[in-house]
Amino acid sequence: MLNVKELLEELKASPYEEIEVRTPHTGIVQFVGLNTGDRVLGPTGKWNEKPGTLLANLTREKNKKPICATQKGVVTDIASDFEGKFVEAGERLITIRHFLSKEEVIARILKKALHLFCAPERAKYYFVPEIDAKIKAGGEQSVKPREGMEMFIVSRMKRETPLAYSGPEGIIYAVYFQQGDNVDGGQPLIGVCQESQLSLIQDVVSRVQGEWEEQD
Amino acid sequence: MTQHKVLIANRGEIAMRILRACVGLGHEFVCVYTQADAASGHVRLARELGGGQSLFRIRSYQDPSELFAVADASQATAVHPGYGFFAEDYRFARRTENRDRPLIFIGPSWSVIRDLGDKINTKRIARSLSVPTIPGSDRPIFDEMEAVELAQAIFAFQNDQGITEGCVLVKASAGGGGMGIEEVYDLDTFRSVYRRIRNYAKRNLSDEGVLIEQRIFDFNHLEVQVAAERGGKNAVHFGTRNCSVQSLGRQKRIEVAPGFDPASLSYAFDASHVLDSITQHSVNMAKAVGYDNVGTWEWIVTPKGEPFLMEVNTRIQVENGVSGVISRCRCQADTKHGVDIISEQIRLGLGEPLGYTQDDVGFEGVGIEYRIIAEDPTDRFTPCLGRIERFAWRPEPWLQVFTQVPTAVDADIAYDIPMDFDPNLALAIVWGQDLGQARARGEEFLQNLTLAGTDTSGAPLRTNLGFLLSRTQTILHF
Repeated sequence: MLNVKELLEELKASPYEEIEVRTPHTGIVQFVGLNTGDRVLGPTGKWNEKPGTLLANLTREKNKKPICATQKGVVTDIASDFEGKFVEAGERLITIRHFLSKEEVIARILKKALHLFCAPERAKYYFVPEIDAKIKAGGEQSVKPREGMEMFIVSRMKRETPLAYSGPEGIIYAVYFQQGDNVDGGQPLIGVCQESQLSLIQDVVSRVQGEWEEQD
Repeated sequence: MTQHKVLIANRGEIAMRILRACVGLGHEFVCVYTQADAASGHVRLARELGGGQSLFRIRSYQDPSELFAVADASQATAVHPGYGFFAEDYRFARRTENRDRPLIFIGPSWSVIRDLGDKINTKRIARSLSVPTIPGSDRPIFDEMEAVELAQAIFAFQNDQGITEGCVLVKASAGGGGMGIEEVYDLDTFRSVYRRIRNYAKRNLSDEGVLIEQRIFDFNHLEVQVAAERGGKNAVHFGTRNCSVQSLGRQKRIEVAPGFDPASLSYAFDASHVLDSITQHSVNMAKAVGYDNVGTWEWIVTPKGEPFLMEVNTRIQVENGVSGVISRCRCQADTKHGVDIISEQIRLGLGEPLGYTQDDVGFEGVGIEYRIIAEDPTDRFTPCLGRIERFAWRPEPWLQVFTQVPTAVDADIAYDIPMDFDPNLALAIVWGQDLGQARARGEEFLQNLTLAGTDTSGAPLRTNLGFLLSRTQTILHF
């Protein structure tokens, strides 16, 4: 049985996550004058169309690419040694301490409550066209997975194979992957909520709403 | 000789071969890798031979800006594209040369890649030089009567060649990726298929052009390895190779040099004449188009011994080593393993003359190249992912193995096959004084090879070793 109270206490003891902002490609780094302790904002707008706080610029072949914060938080570390230097792809530039929002806390607890259907192997995953269309039209919860239902396309090494769902019947409560991104074997693809669990889910949501205090 | 710094814009075993060739020629090198390839052999070799300054992690091998940024940061003077990725991309080759800081593209000139990269154009050039090509149209056909006449001629030709299952391909000229293409087995259905493809092309591609070509099932796939210096005046060939052992998707699995072996096997046609004919045609065409690096002329040979040029690959190929292993030339001092064609490619790409003629090139023995791949030949050659825990073989003077996978010699570490690339594990090249000895050595190598690992479900890793072994005795039979 899921102990919501215990999970909440656990998260309250460490109510943040460290986000490492890394270089998306090679280039010359120029920081924009941020210091540790500075607050930064993540992307905003209806579609997250307004970028977060500018952290640094990365110049490659005369093209300057802005590197912006992907979440709001506090800057805890800056790799200032890279200033003005050519760096490889994937180098850590800045670390941001991001305090968890109510939605993120709910998502973390639900991950323990839902039935997780996981990727059987490292590959790119897609929903089959019918499921994809249904989600686009009516949202994730409009899909009711059941045992043997063909739900995913597994794409690896230029070959695509179908993947059927296995697990209890319910509704998709959460989707944990981006279509077309590589997913490691064992990582969850979807979280399915059985009908009998709906009261528990409601309990999690209301308790987090009432007990979690967001930090700016 | 001017010393250069060569950016190796590739990965895996080809990057390792280029790297070793650069070191052998006295040039510096710079390697790139992606996160998924961090455990690859080319990363370890670059670190070992060049230190940290010769190795850069990039986002993707297919991002030209990443490659040029590394070239500039490392002061590279030339780019070697290897095979795949940008090797046959004339726009990349042109951009390499036409930058503020120009680099030398180690491959043919971009205009040559452009001209020969298009199969229809290659066919047109070949026909203008009286080089035999696959029967069919060398331009889009818009007229139904003309299309029917062409199809009739192809069926008649196939019948005459003793091809049991005649087939014509009807293709949308602007199509690709398997779309807008159908096979026709008899003239009765040809008209309706032609109309359907033309209609498809008009609706989806805004181009009504349709190509009519012969589809050949029963053939041998031969190649001629050509090398030519800048300016295209002097060109030679390093013999022929037979690449007829392929997977279902027409992917090569075993390559043999020379292309036929009339000394050991009997053929229904004059095999020596066919080999002479295709090498002559290939070199003549290379000279005529001003070809100026290494390249491969790909041929099909019918059961009656008629050769037809299929296409030209304007790059180094995976299987270059099997031609090199039987070639003897005064161009390179160390001829233990024959001619290193990659070294020749780098020399020629950097503007050095060939320094020899065809008379200086000889051939000795038979070479067999095996492509060792994590795949399941019993299940339509499905690629397999997994972890290799041990990969080892007994070194022999007649054996070369090229691999990015850590071996027992390198280190005692496991290797996860990256899913972002083809699951090619190694290339093994075996040499024998004659076909019999080469086959026996090939079987000996495959039987004694240790390749142990598990797939993602924990079951033993599936590889194509059994398939390679089963085909060894019948190579070069036709």
